[in-house]
Amino acid sequence: MLFPFPRGYRDCELHSWQILTSCDNKLGLQNINGMSTRQASVHAKWIIGQVIGTKMKKTAKVRVTRLVLDPYLLKYYNKRKTYFAHDPLEQCTIGDVVLLKALPEKRSKHVNHELAEIVYKVGQVVDPLTGKRVAGTQYLEPLTESTEDTEVSLKEKLEQLNITASTTPPSAS
Amino acid sequence: MPMKGRFPIRRTLEYLQKGEVVFKKSVNIMTVNYNTHGDLSEGARKFVFFNIPQIQYKNPWVQIMMFKNMTPSPFLRFYLGKSFVLLFFNLFSILWYLLVLLLCLDDGEQVLVDVEGKDHKEIMNHVKTILGKSDKVLEAEALAKMELSNPANFGPKRYFLRECISEVEGQVPHPGFVPLPKEMTGKYRAKLAAASDE
Repeated sequence: MLFPFPRGYRDCELHSWQILTSCDNKLGLQNINGMSTRQASVHAKWIIGQVIGTKMKKTAKVRVTRLVLDPYLLKYYNKRKTYFAHDPLEQCTIGDVVLLKALPEKRSKHVNHELAEIVYKVGQVVDPLTGKRVAGTQYLEPLTESTEDTEVSLKEKLEQLNITASTTPPSAS
Repeated sequence: MPMKGRFPIRRTLEYLQKGEVVFKKSVNIMTVNYNTHGDLSEGARKFVFFNIPQIQYKNPWVQIMMFKNMTPSPFLRFYLGKSFVLLFFNLFSILWYLLVLLLCLDDGEQVLVDVEGKDHKEIMNHVKTILGKSDKVLEAEALAKMELSNPANFGPKRYFLRECISEVEGQVPHPGFVPLPKEMTGKYRAKLAAASDE
């Protein structure tokens, strides 16, 4: 049985993803003739994650998972990291899948990102291909707009169809 | 002794390095929505099983997220954003500053790919044509990388192949390892020169 939990021998090696986490607060300062332009202080410009906490005022706690290669098993596993995102309208609920954009300047000690858009709102997922509301593998809204008159009863519909019993029975082969 | 798992070839470096898709610099996030049951999602499931490790290996800085059973039909979604371009500033600093600001605008475009009913190879090819670097570009990059590491250059082991010509087979080795023949030593030659002068 292959256990899906990688063991601790990867501690010594630095993955590209670990380099990303360690250099997270890289400051790009450039002094030109007295003017200093500060670039975004985070390496991750655009990230997608799931909201796990909204107890802070105007801030959402977002869990971002990235695939990291285990060096011995050579298999990719999800590695989690929590980011704090500025959400001015407090429109996030726990469980939303959210797209974050890096802020040009750090908003506070931990908040480096802001909410760009809510990709999938929990309970109100909209299928991007059709634009209809969806719940799991079921559509909540009908796909085609029904052009039929719903008032017409079934009996009238049957009368419209001409079904008559045939007199000669079908020939048996 | 066989490898463990269903298709353990997926867990070999050779397989991972054979990935064809190298994304363009603008691609930041890739999202795959697929279903665990159903024939129409079969291609998407195979794509996730076989090709996602290859894509992630070739693009370590792209965030890939998988979502299961969220929508009835499977699809791929890519989130693009322009990358920063570092410029060197000079006397005309104000103009350059404005140029940098213009280039740093990321629009956050999204690309939606419907993969319902498609085979995983078709999906891979489609993704390669729309968002992957073309073969020509990849070859040019490989060539440029080769040019940087010229085997004709000597230097520290970290950057170059060899440190000294004496490391090459067939060349005179360092006297520290193998003593030089008597005729090549400096003191013998000096002695000969002195003897011939007299």
